[in-house]
Amino acid sequence: MKKLITAVVSLGLMAGATSAIADMEADRKAFVGHFKSIQPGVEFADYTNGVYAYDAGSRDQFEEILDGIPPYEEAVEKGAAEFEKFGLAKCAALADPAAARLAHPYYDDAAGTVVTLEGTIRKCYNEQTGKKMGPMKGKVARISAWISDQAAGEKINVKVESDGAKAAYARGKATFYAKRGQFNMSCADCHVYNAGKKARADILSPALGHTTHVPMYRAKWGSLGTLHRRYGGCYKNMRAKPLMAQSPEYRDMEFFHQAMSNGLEITDARYRK
Amino acid sequence: MKKLLLTTLTVFAFSAQADYLGSGHNWNTGSSDPFGAAIAAAESGYAANLKAHMAWRDTGKMIKEAKKLQASGNAAGAVALANKAHTQTVNAAAQTVGAGSAGPSF
Repeated sequence: MKKLITAVVSLGLMAGATSAIADMEADRKAFVGHFKSIQPGVEFADYTNGVYAYDAGSRDQFEEILDGIPPYEEAVEKGAAEFEKFGLAKCAALADPAAARLAHPYYDDAAGTVVTLEGTIRKCYNEQTGKKMGPMKGKVARISAWISDQAAGEKINVKVESDGAKAAYARGKATFYAKRGQFNMSCADCHVYNAGKKARADILSPALGHTTHVPMYRAKWGSLGTLHRRYGGCYKNMRAKPLMAQSPEYRDMEFFHQAMSNGLEITDARYRK
Repeated sequence: MKKLLLTTLTVFAFSAQADYLGSGHNWNTGSSDPFGAAIAAAESGYAANLKAHMAWRDTGKMIKEAKKLQASGNAAGAVALANKAHTQTVNAAAQTVGAGSAGPSF
């Protein structure tokens, strides 16, 4: 009897460990499957275009903007110059910009935290210039956009391997799905369950593919902004108090959010309404 | 049986009354300093919400505004607003309960 109990408990523990390893990939498959179920006509690869995968009229406008001179082009060129000017290539993590985009976000086991591309840019800038860089717009967004452009066409491939990474991923997932604010809404309420539907005059974008084009240029902002700037805006819309950009909570959420878009191409078409 | 009936009716009466409390209800009727008690409850609730990263957008502003009203002599308005802020913190705390284990519903 004792042997039987031991065997059952051991099997249970093994199953638990296996499911923890499979969690992210299982989550991603379920996530992609959900979008397939709500928009069966949209190909997975087209989610790299975000909301423009859903609405033909918006897609036409988007393509017209891209056919001309995109409003962010000058800013991205400035980002390239700033990358050079501040000597960011001297930092090992940014020496190969395309590789840097693909490597972030990642979980740093030694530091016990998720490291984002913007976090690495800010750290490197501080090392090279002795100055601090803001986390949401301006230099950080321009430089990050230029770095991301170097990886255009490559596929997002976030890895969630160590126990620490799994814990950060789980925290980020919970943050994404948790209801908050006076409207008692979660990120998923708009961008998962109701993606493609209208909220006033706007079509709610699918969370699948959100991270392919960050930092994004938003017409509403009239400038480039990081993913964490957008998180702050969404929190405000839910009537929740935004957290600090690059806070551990937002970094964990980015880790989850990017992982859900694994397999989608990074794009330099970063215009959003 | 009589005791049981009396207890049941008493509990029912209290719970029914609790259900009818509006957001403008003064939680501190028995206090000699209604504003002090209301604002202290709002501030401590808000501090807990901030710590849990689950604060609502306007609670901080409401607390500030309530203090301004109190300073300007509008005690009734100040207490009402402080109570409203406190209610927000209670609701935010309720959201915090399931937030750590939230997941998809598909």
